[in-house]
Amino acid sequence: MKKLAAPPLGLTLLAVGLVLYPLLFSDAFYRDIGVTFLLAAIAASAWNIVGGYAGQISVGHSMFFGIGAYTPVLFYTLWGWPPLVGIPVGILLSLALAAVIGLPTLRLSGHYFSMATIAVAELIRILVGTWNFVGAAIGLQGPARGRAWWDLTFRSELPYYYIFLVVLGIVLAVTATFESRRFGYYVRAIKAGERAAKSLGVPVHWTKMQALLLSAAFTSIAGSLYVVKTGFVDPGSGFGILVSVQMVIVAALGGAGTLYGPLLGALILIPLQTATNNWLGGGGSGLTFIIYGGIIVLIARFEPGGLSELWHRLLRKRWKRVDATA
Amino acid sequence: MPLLDAQNVSKAFGRFRAVADADFAVDQGEIIGLIGPNGAGKSTLFNCLAGDMVPNAGRIIFDGADVTRASAEAHARVGIGRTFQVPTTFEDMSVLDNVMVGAFLRHPHRDDAREQARRIVELTGLKPDQRARSLGTPGRKRLEIARVLATDPRLLLLDESLAGLTPGELQDAIALVRRLHEMGITIVIVEHIMEVIMTLTKRVVVFNQGHVIASGTPEEVVADERVIEAYLGRTGTPERGSKP
Ligand SMILES: Nc1ncnc2c1ncn2[C@@H]1O[C@H](COP(=O)(O)OP(=O)(O)OP(=O)(O)O)[C@@H](O)[C@H]1O
Ligand SMILES: [Mg+2]
Repeated sequence: MKKLAAPPLGLTLLAVGLVLYPLLFSDAFYRDIGVTFLLAAIAASAWNIVGGYAGQISVGHSMFFGIGAYTPVLFYTLWGWPPLVGIPVGILLSLALAAVIGLPTLRLSGHYFSMATIAVAELIRILVGTWNFVGAAIGLQGPARGRAWWDLTFRSELPYYYIFLVVLGIVLAVTATFESRRFGYYVRAIKAGERAAKSLGVPVHWTKMQALLLSAAFTSIAGSLYVVKTGFVDPGSGFGILVSVQMVIVAALGGAGTLYGPLLGALILIPLQTATNNWLGGGGSGLTFIIYGGIIVLIARFEPGGLSELWHRLLRKRWKRVDATA
Repeated sequence: MPLLDAQNVSKAFGRFRAVADADFAVDQGEIIGLIGPNGAGKSTLFNCLAGDMVPNAGRIIFDGADVTRASAEAHARVGIGRTFQVPTTFEDMSVLDNVMVGAFLRHPHRDDAREQARRIVELTGLKPDQRARSLGTPGRKRLEIARVLATDPRLLLLDESLAGLTPGELQDAIALVRRLHEMGITIVIVEHIMEVIMTLTKRVVVFNQGHVIASGTPEEVVADERVIEAYLGRTGTPERGSKP
């Protein structure tokens, strides 16, 4: 049996802080920021599994987010089913899509994989935008008022906040678990060098596929949480490229391939986004584009090789220092 | 029956045949030197033997099974291990974690894999907590040996793993390879340093222009006319034929 170690102080403080936050800031505005932050952290943590740990930089994760968002409200629109039923179906659809998309694209390397994922996600967005069955350009709406708890439609922000917090906890716990096991070693080895990994018997394609499936499932859940919170989804908010880019940026900003990186990234980016949107009064997605663009330029300026590379470069510096002082 | 039997193997890059109708066999328990001038096709042959490249022609039989078209992963699973001429260690990971990646092949559980990795790190004289990135090239080469040892190979293909060492390090490394051989691992070693070949191997195979031009004891081989010609025609004597 494994001994249960006491959680480190930082983690305890973080957990306590997150639990207490909406109680300390009871204003709807602050609670809304909290919910948005949690959602961004969940989505980026989900992306991080395949994009960060396995180093397969998907810029098309909105395909899973969108499926997760559309499925519950589609079932509600069609048959009045509670969103809770649609969530697992969304996960299954996302897994199926991940398998179909992953099979050819995971054999591509580096930028080609990224470009392929962008192309697929954009294609889906355009198709959904012209498909009346799923509301075309208008999108779909969930229950206006919850019939019971399983409609997951609440007046207060508080239930959303705590549901999201529990889901974030689950995503991080799953990530922490695989991080220290064979799968975690294998994804890191693949990221560091596929050829060497193969020579040691690492089943490279299957491991990447597993990472993509796990990532897609959690991203789908993030999409579902988004739709139960907003009660509404359209092609842009579900399948738009901004959705994918946000996951990449949040994770890369905090540290791709690290457990708490996405959390840290969301902690910086979401309040920043909210603040700037408020200053300029409903600047909306135009401003978001500018912020994301700025961050991309900043990261690319210092690390032209790619977004997640910046973090590695910082880590290398730190290790060099550690090694030098050791 | 040889442990490894490569028959008529060819591998071409475009029109250029880096390996051309090579026949190469290794018996269980042997330790063979594979030598030849730069560009002779030794590393390319290794790539074919380890499943990293699929030959254009020929067959490769390992322990009675045809592995010609099997993946590199499958080669590792059946027990063919290799190092790379240019080290490919996982730079951001510690020495122990690098070795654990190999150890997971036979030990799916983390604690078993770690134990296996620790044993091997100790055997190879590395420091478990050092970052791979902070090792020099000789250290990386040694780490590559440790990493592949952790997969429990039956046949080990060492591609210039002993190059670039100081005389002291070289003696340690030779002792290590001898130790691995005594542990029952069959070894093929590509090396330009003739001292290594002379001390470690009883049989040497000479490669030139993609195929075997001579084989025999180290003494026989260095006296062989064709071998001398191959080296003189290219990069000089076997003793000084090291890479730039
Ligand atoms: N991937 C490749 N694409 C094209 N040509 C290649 C490739 N790999 C090797 N070659 C060529 O094949 C020939 C054999 O190369 P190889 O690396 O197998 O030689 P080697 O015997 O290992 O030489 P060295 O002693 O310098 O390591 C060389 O001429 C090399 O340039
Ligand atoms: Mg070579």
